[in-house]
Amino acid sequence: MLKTIQWIVVTLVLCISVSTVFSQGLTPPLNVTAVDTANDDGSSITIKWDAAAEDSGISGYQILRRIADGELETIGDLLPVGTTTYVDSAIEGGTAYTYVVRAVSATEATADSEQTAPVEGSGEWFHTEKTPLFIAMLLFSAAIVWNIYNARSGKEVFVRRIPGLEAVDEAIGRATEMGRSILYVLGLGGVSGVATVASMTILAQVARRTADYETPLRVPCNDPIVMNVVREMVKTAYLEEGHPDAYNEENIFFLTEDQFAYAAGVDGIMVREKPATVFLQGSFAAESLILAETGNSIGAIQIAGTDSEHQLPFFIAACDYTLIGEELYAASAYLSKEPMLLGSLRGQDWGKVLIFGAIALGVILELSGITWITTLLQRVN
Amino acid sequence: MLSKLMNLDRRLIFIFVALAVIIPTLLPLNLPINVSEPTQKIYDYIDALPAGSTIMIAFDYGPSSLPELNPMAKAVLRHCFDKGVRVIGMTLYPFAPTLADTLITEVAEEAGAVNGEDYVFLGFRPGGEQVMLRMGISIGSVFEKDYTNTPLTEISMMKDITNYGQIDLILDLASGSTTDLWITYVNVKYNQQIAAGVTGVIVSNMYPYLQTNQLVGLMPGYLGASEYEKLIGVPEKGTQGINNASPVHVLILGLVIIGNIVFFIQRRREG
Amino acid sequence: MKRQVPLVLCFLFGVVMCFTQFSPHSFSQSIYDEVVYWALIMSPFALAVGTITLVQTHVIRIRRRTEHWQYSFVVFAGLLTMVVIGLPFGPQHPAFAWLFNNVQVPLDATMFSLLAFLIASAAFRAFRARTFEASLLLISAMIVLIGNVPVGDLIWNTVLSWLPWDNGASEARQWILGNPNLSARRGIILGVSLGVISQAIRLILGIERSYIGGGD
Repeated sequence: MLKTIQWIVVTLVLCISVSTVFSQGLTPPLNVTAVDTANDDGSSITIKWDAAAEDSGISGYQILRRIADGELETIGDLLPVGTTTYVDSAIEGGTAYTYVVRAVSATEATADSEQTAPVEGSGEWFHTEKTPLFIAMLLFSAAIVWNIYNARSGKEVFVRRIPGLEAVDEAIGRATEMGRSILYVLGLGGVSGVATVASMTILAQVARRTADYETPLRVPCNDPIVMNVVREMVKTAYLEEGHPDAYNEENIFFLTEDQFAYAAGVDGIMVREKPATVFLQGSFAAESLILAETGNSIGAIQIAGTDSEHQLPFFIAACDYTLIGEELYAASAYLSKEPMLLGSLRGQDWGKVLIFGAIALGVILELSGITWITTLLQRVN
Repeated sequence: MLSKLMNLDRRLIFIFVALAVIIPTLLPLNLPINVSEPTQKIYDYIDALPAGSTIMIAFDYGPSSLPELNPMAKAVLRHCFDKGVRVIGMTLYPFAPTLADTLITEVAEEAGAVNGEDYVFLGFRPGGEQVMLRMGISIGSVFEKDYTNTPLTEISMMKDITNYGQIDLILDLASGSTTDLWITYVNVKYNQQIAAGVTGVIVSNMYPYLQTNQLVGLMPGYLGASEYEKLIGVPEKGTQGINNASPVHVLILGLVIIGNIVFFIQRRREG
Repeated sequence: MKRQVPLVLCFLFGVVMCFTQFSPHSFSQSIYDEVVYWALIMSPFALAVGTITLVQTHVIRIRRRTEHWQYSFVVFAGLLTMVVIGLPFGPQHPAFAWLFNNVQVPLDATMFSLLAFLIASAAFRAFRARTFEASLLLISAMIVLIGNVPVGDLIWNTVLSWLPWDNGASEARQWILGNPNLSARRGIILGVSLGVISQAIRLILGIERSYIGGGD
């Protein structure tokens, strides 16, 4: 009797063990959900499920998809065992999809999850994770716009002295006295480059003065579109100053798009024509020193300005005045004394105060062990 | 005498520089090279890629920077072909296609890599950042054909590559500001991993991106090329270049020191 | 009218492109794609405009016999040679590649290599320890300069071998680039970025209009 009971117990234990071993690979994935992917254009659905236990025997997952009453179809490759999310990016708008996550064991045994509820992909109009960035942009833009319109009321805006810009009149005057030309180099940027646009705005101011003094202004361009814009701009400046006859279109010309051929061309002009004043304003790369040293060697007064901060040391070493970074963007406001433009500079300073405050606060909070600001910013990134 | 030294004729300095380059070119030096962390990071990243992965190399430089950047390209290509990592070459620089194609073909022949299977060179398209952005949507919409005019649809390795989603790393070899653009438009918008190899003159510009991990790694000029050559165990023109550049660096350092000594003496005399 | 249209276009495109950065919807993304595509299409036209302008400039020079007008023929010779070989046969043609490798490459390399000479002369002339700040910059520059080449570590490991750490020159260079240099650069970058945003707002709102000739 005892033997029989022992035999039954052993058999039962064996049966339970064997069934456990075999069922390990067959546990279906639990809590499978399929939802429209957040913050996308509606071209994907995200499927999530619970992570399987370590001893589950699952070696991977296969995603199956069904459109309306159609057949279940396999999508994508076999996913590794640790996966708990799959993004189906091959969907069509307006179609409802249901999903099944299939657990696959090493012995290729399978267990299917329950089918999810039908879901359609839909695009979002606003990326919620970009909210902090959006708020920052609104705040900063509002600060600038507020200051611009505030400046219209005639409130005087203080702008610190920028020696490079103070020297513009002196430099133009010098060229006029010496009876030599002014060479204006816009750098390598295209018309979409903000530094090039900033440089063009300075050129517009310089052109107004050269129009008055009737000093020849030579502008070799690196970009044909920039050249056309500059021609139009300088022509208007001469026209508005009442000297349309002094404008010579041939003085604004295209040299080449190649960086060093351009440098060689500009150097050639410098050496041959010996301009009294050289403006190097805009976006520059390795040719900056080649240009600035040649200008230095001919004894021209040189006013440089760039937002290419790695070229600043070269300009500082070889030029008389250098506009550093943002000073290039402030130049138009500084030279024209236009209240609205000056107002934008104050707005810029408000932005700086805001950033400085955020940096100081961030450092203090980090040092105090409060890390949510950093986490928030990392999320934005 | 002092004022003569202070206003040393620059042509004399030019002669010194020429000698400092020519002499070590004729009598090669063999200085020990230590691998810096930014270069090591690129090597490690590519080394960890499984065979069949894809990297894109942007040859954004012209003939002027060829001596500095070609050795880098060569070393990375060798490493990729050796590891079975597929390479897509392209450029945003109009003067680069010929030099890039010549280089890839040369390294591929040496490594036994097959065009269309192990590598493809797409050539040049104008538009800079627009090209970068458009490739994020579809590479085929920017480059319908490769450099040899084969439609992308007929190139086997491009069959499973639509956009940046299937590319594991973009290495920008740059002499200008293209790396900033790759980071601004491709890393930020498409979350693509970017590494860079740049000319010595713009190295310091890249450090902010290294700190924010927007650059996987960085090869700085000749130094970077020589370091990568050391890592793959094939010292070539990068190593030769950095050895030749060493005396010029010492010369400039010497000139600066002399200039300052003279400046101090003169200032003391003038009271 | 001639000025109003570009200003309105600038405002519209500026606002819409800004909006597309915050809206992942397929509609806004399709606008974004379309604009990027348009910009891409414009690029080859810019090359054509460049070539036409170049030809115009040099034709005028030859016609007016301006100083060194003879060199304009060299421009045309170069342009024609590359077009005649490049257009029908493509840039892979051996003749094109030969010209590229034997004319363009050495010419460009020559210009770039001028930097070595000019850096030396500029450094000699401008690197003076006139003030305390200038002295700090000078010392940093010297460390970075020597740390950039293997000879720096060689000197360090030979002359300063009694110090407890090796390869000090390259380590110091790395530290200077990664810390003081980076801090200063970040300051400039922040200023530049704010300047760019401010400039962009001025352009979008039509306050900055000197790029289209200024005025109203």
